[in-house]
Amino acid sequence: MPFNDHYVIIGNGPAGNHAAATLREKDKDAKITIISDECVPFYYKPKLTEFISGTLKKEKLMVNTLESYEEKDIRIRLGQTVEKIDPDTKSIFLKHMEKMDYTKLIIASGGRQRVLPSMTSFEEHLKFVTSYSDVMEYKEQIKKAKDFFIIGGDLVGFRFLRMLRTIGKNVSIMIYPNAFWPYNLTDEMLDKITKRLSKYTPDVIVKDDISSIESHKNGTYQVATSKGLEKKVDMVFSFNGLMPNIDFAKGTGIDIDHGILVDEYLKSNIDSIYACGSCAQIYNPTIKNYTVSIGWPNAVTQGKVAALNVLGDQKIIKSVGRKYFDMEGAMIKTTWWEDIDDES
Amino acid sequence: MKKNGLYSKEEKLFQDKNKMYSTQSVKQIVYSTDVRDFGQVAKSIPCQEACPAKTNIPGYIRCVYEKRYGRAYEVNRSANILPGVLGRICSRPCESACRHGEPDNGQSVGICHLKRSCADLKPSSHRIIEGLYAPTDKTVAVIGSGPAGLAAAHDLASLGHKVVIYESTDKPGGMLMWGIPEFRLPRDLLMIEIQNILRLGIELKTNTAIGRDITLDQLKKEVDAVVVATGCVSPRMLGVDGEGLENVHNGLEFMMAVNAGQTPYVGDKVVVIGAGFTAVDCARSAIRIGGKDVSLNIRKTIEYMRIDDTEKHEAQFEGIHTHSLVQPSKIIGDGKKVTGVEFQRTRLEEIDTPPFRMSVPIENSEFMVPADSVIAALGQSSNIAAVSKKLGNLKKEGHKTGIKNVFAAGDFVTGSSDVISAIAGGRKCARHIDELLVGEKRKQIVVRCENHATTDRPRSYDFINKVEMNTIAMKKRLSKSTHEVETGYKEKQAREESKRCYLCNLKYEIDPLTCIYCSACIDVAPKDCIKMIKNVPVNSDGTYGEYEETGQWNQVLSIAIDPANCIRCGQCLSVCPMDCISVTKTELIEIDS
Repeated sequence: MPFNDHYVIIGNGPAGNHAAATLREKDKDAKITIISDECVPFYYKPKLTEFISGTLKKEKLMVNTLESYEEKDIRIRLGQTVEKIDPDTKSIFLKHMEKMDYTKLIIASGGRQRVLPSMTSFEEHLKFVTSYSDVMEYKEQIKKAKDFFIIGGDLVGFRFLRMLRTIGKNVSIMIYPNAFWPYNLTDEMLDKITKRLSKYTPDVIVKDDISSIESHKNGTYQVATSKGLEKKVDMVFSFNGLMPNIDFAKGTGIDIDHGILVDEYLKSNIDSIYACGSCAQIYNPTIKNYTVSIGWPNAVTQGKVAALNVLGDQKIIKSVGRKYFDMEGAMIKTTWWEDIDDES
Repeated sequence: MKKNGLYSKEEKLFQDKNKMYSTQSVKQIVYSTDVRDFGQVAKSIPCQEACPAKTNIPGYIRCVYEKRYGRAYEVNRSANILPGVLGRICSRPCESACRHGEPDNGQSVGICHLKRSCADLKPSSHRIIEGLYAPTDKTVAVIGSGPAGLAAAHDLASLGHKVVIYESTDKPGGMLMWGIPEFRLPRDLLMIEIQNILRLGIELKTNTAIGRDITLDQLKKEVDAVVVATGCVSPRMLGVDGEGLENVHNGLEFMMAVNAGQTPYVGDKVVVIGAGFTAVDCARSAIRIGGKDVSLNIRKTIEYMRIDDTEKHEAQFEGIHTHSLVQPSKIIGDGKKVTGVEFQRTRLEEIDTPPFRMSVPIENSEFMVPADSVIAALGQSSNIAAVSKKLGNLKKEGHKTGIKNVFAAGDFVTGSSDVISAIAGGRKCARHIDELLVGEKRKQIVVRCENHATTDRPRSYDFINKVEMNTIAMKKRLSKSTHEVETGYKEKQAREESKRCYLCNLKYEIDPLTCIYCSACIDVAPKDCIKMIKNVPVNSDGTYGEYEETGQWNQVLSIAIDPANCIRCGQCLSVCPMDCISVTKTELIEIDS
């Protein structure tokens, strides 16, 4: 029996799916497997808020159907969690105690919710909108609830706030300057954002901190701030950006810092392992530094480039997409590949 | 047992069942020196195995559960002599090894917090237990009153030797007194625990440095043996231009100044260089004495920082930023004072022997960071020559030095480590000296095995969330460098956290002669801990190796419980139709030889 390569991709987001599609396009015979801890095929994560409000149906949220994987002969393993990687034997271990061998591995595991250090003791009371399963868990609860408290305020958080106001909910928001990780909002940016958000809700709180969140038996929460504000709300959401989702790579010999450290070819310190998308911290030889990228277009490009390099190409990654995000009037730098601070 | 209505209905039912078992069983206690039992304890109780002092962790956590806080304190103290101190500042190798922290099992048990609870919650009238031997008429000098020196002094004194400690500064404690900030370790508590050691009749001579005030040769003539435990106090230097500029501090000296009540100048922008506990202590102290923008700058990545997760969290929580993959190439100044640091970016590279990731500077990657002050906390090394040039040729095993009857212990021998390792080193050194002075081994470690009958805890305890440590408000913690940040568990919290311990000191075994191979235990086991095995290899040291599993019934030698995976839930015990599963409590204890 001829030996075919087995390319394993951890992650079913834009980077993982475009890596898989590129691999299939260039190598018709290889076995390609995508592993995802979520139980649904590839979907538009940025559109989850529209899905909650009901303006977007499930069919429109999905990018791929299960059949589309079958058509490309890409094996998709949903609801399976990677526990450990053994680079020496080129194996990954899944939580359900299965061992899977790979020829080359692409890590495209994206991000998970970032909990601010000051919030860890209240984490059990916080809700997040980072996955389809999160949303399915809270969707009905959101419809029934009246009063919401939002902590942080990244792009998704502001979108979520606007959505809640559109469907008639009361929302208080406490903005943290460091919610848009890894960038900190300046006072000027904070003023602009506060002004813009005040159009949607009168309850914009800045330069304060949560001192306690307590749950009541009736399912509501009492939120107290350091400056003495007290709010009784039905749900508390946290939006403080994402952190690379790479716990399974810790202690395996793969270099990690905030994300998986990769060179400009998206290759890690282990020859057979690549990383792309928001879980990768990419070295840029021009600015001589490692940084984590954000945004859908970057993930797509990196997925494609990682796949080509897995197949033997030597493509250097470049930044794509917008250089700035418009955060309610404040322009936040998003490009990681070039120093745009000096640009006018 | 039923105190203050603390037990729920479920717990009471469980205890009644326990009583029933205990009246039916005959207690058998065996003290074993079999190497296989030592191997089993090492594999079964990962927390204790990871602790350099081999503290009986499940033992004292069980005491906390039973509200026997005094006993819990003594179980601790029998291994690590400073429970209240270590309950605050231990580097917690036990928690990294805790089975509760393994994948799917939740978070590791808050072992260190529970250790502190033993000290905090014990009654004020608590009785300290010391096993004192008759006087030997021998005298031992201990140089240095840090954790290693105190541990050695304590054990030597309890073994009947007269002990004199020589301390170069005006207060005892070594790094505990001068290196660790007061917001992590209150000095009144430190002094109480030091006094508990000195009460054994130990003489403490402060402001007396060997090599400065008395020579080692002079001292040696007055005593039967000497322990050198002066730790690591010689700071490693950055070795870059500008290091001598004003407001460039060395980490240890900075901490010593802060701990002496001084406020060294830090300005607004403070650049701390280093990745260990001292670096984090410096950064957290700097933010308390006026630093507004304090950063930790490390050569490698956060993963390689030599601190525990709690310290990483606290530093981040207090607003300290960590910049990884950077190393200083130059300190920049205006000719007198520091104004900034030039860093180079680094990348990780592997060196083969031994396999290790090292940081390598990236050429032409220099960038400048403005700074009002720089604190270089790159660790310390021992200064052998300061004690005596003849000392050389230190041996970790046996704690011997180049001079007869002069021993060495703690960081002075091993290099910079942590408090619990230093204590363990001090105690081992004391054993060697005692053997030399009395000509026989008077203590030995054995495995105490006692039949136990039940699991001691319901399965529901496995799903309790970790209880977070209470801390003071941010405003208060940053307002003064002496406000202790952590306030300890309240009694109810301590008891709740104690429930989470799996009690890995309980060994579950299947009797192959009674087992009918029904596999009911395998069906109910929540982990992959009960295995059909075809062989149990024996390691070269005589301990048992990893079980060799089989899926073929015709190869099965036995059904066995793997102590390395068992979470002591007791499910197997409750379904076994043959009552062929036994539970044995196994503990490492020290007895007279």
